[in-house]
Amino acid sequence: MGYSADEEVLRGINFHLKPGSFHFLTGPSGTGKTSLLRLMYLAHRASGGVVRIFNQDIARTRRAVLPGLRQRIGVVFQDFRLLDHLSARDNVALTLRIGRVREDAIGERVTELLDWVGLRDHLDAKPPTLSDGEKQRVAIARAVIGRPNLLVADEPTGSVDEYQGVRIMRLFKELNRIGTTVVIATHDRRLISQFNYPVMELGHGTFGITGNK
Amino acid sequence: MFRQHFDLPLGEDGSDRFVPWIIAVMVYLATLSVAAGMAVNRSVDKWNIGLEGTITVEIVASNAPVEDAGKRMDRALSILRKTEGVRSATPISRDEISKLLEPWLGQGDVPLTLPIPQLIDVRLEAGTKLDFDALGTLLENAVPGARLDDHQYWTERLTGFGRSVQITSAFIVMLVALAGAGTVVFATRAGLEIHREVIELMHLVGSRDSYIAGQFQAHAMSLSLRGGVVGLGLGAATLGVLSGITASIKGSFLPTVTITAEAWAVLAALPLLAGLIATMTARVTVARALQEMP
Repeated sequence: MGYSADEEVLRGINFHLKPGSFHFLTGPSGTGKTSLLRLMYLAHRASGGVVRIFNQDIARTRRAVLPGLRQRIGVVFQDFRLLDHLSARDNVALTLRIGRVREDAIGERVTELLDWVGLRDHLDAKPPTLSDGEKQRVAIARAVIGRPNLLVADEPTGSVDEYQGVRIMRLFKELNRIGTTVVIATHDRRLISQFNYPVMELGHGTFGITGNK
Repeated sequence: MFRQHFDLPLGEDGSDRFVPWIIAVMVYLATLSVAAGMAVNRSVDKWNIGLEGTITVEIVASNAPVEDAGKRMDRALSILRKTEGVRSATPISRDEISKLLEPWLGQGDVPLTLPIPQLIDVRLEAGTKLDFDALGTLLENAVPGARLDDHQYWTERLTGFGRSVQITSAFIVMLVALAGAGTVVFATRAGLEIHREVIELMHLVGSRDSYIAGQFQAHAMSLSLRGGVVGLGLGAATLGVLSGITASIKGSFLPTVTITAEAWAVLAALPLLAGLIATMTARVTVARALQEMP
């Protein structure tokens, strides 16, 4: 599997995520975790192999269809990728606005979620004024506000303290309980060991899934 | 009240500073061009209406005694009044001719010795189709020195002049529109480049091209409407000054610069037209650029 004509990044990877499943993705740096995630959240189309998401062969899917698929995917980026000119509230609301949710229905949902992740006092704060942990929580709120069918999170607890980490994992479990398929990429073996979820292990040229929940 | 929500920080990329002023200059030039075209056309129409249904007979001065001049005038009037389709044939008095010559000869009595032609103002019945060539030949044969002027020479040239002014005005407006569109293309491309990361993120969270293009469109429209209104205001002020100047030149052949309600409606549409062009240009530019994203 690759996403550029002259460079093969992923090879021999074959897996199927059941709807409503919860997986960790782990492996040493440089093994293609981020590339695999990018394929999953449709930042790239694979130049070889087959990527099927929501029963769509992504390589053959018309470009105009992709935004609709992306709206069903929540992404937590490792570097947060918040919009610095928007407040925490507007960053979280972005997904809903893009999904054409009515403005009067947005406010309450956003405030409630930011309250839940402990940012009620930072609703109007711009990202440059927030700590990394706070930014990460805003990024997570943005990813889950639209109740996505698939949630892809890259090191979502990497910048938060243990208490917030537990709360975030509880949020992901809750989303998973109501049907969201969750994939969490992490180096944190301790975090993985706290949960009995299957783990996708990506090595240099190897791939396997351990655990069987 | 409607308020556009901008996810893209388009107001912070510098386009706010230069686009409205460029559009203001464009709309200013277009306003003057369109107003000039309309003023000239109105004058040409006025002149044409004034000449319609009239002919002039000129009897050139000769060295013959004054009594002969009277006889020649009577003969010409007699022919004209007997001609079918002629409603009236009235000699133009020497006083009236003197007034017509005032712009060139100044006020005061024209010396009797000056060989001024005699003129007859001929009014035709409405819808009359006279054979001007035949009537002219008849007059020339019967009255030495008589010449018929059906104004065709002037009306043709005036109409041609009016059309040329219209074409030139349209051409200038087209150039201005192209230059305005070019400015918007440049500003939009710069905006796309500056906000590339934000646009990529919006794509990743499911934004459709139309959503992103909509933000650029709304921004371009807002900037060009602002500029357009300023340009129209400056244009209106300039036209006001020109109107005052032309009105002060009495008896002038210059077209008077008066802005009728109809003309105002046309001029008021210019900022809207600028807004529309900016909107469409921004949409096409963004749509093309976004096609290159996955």
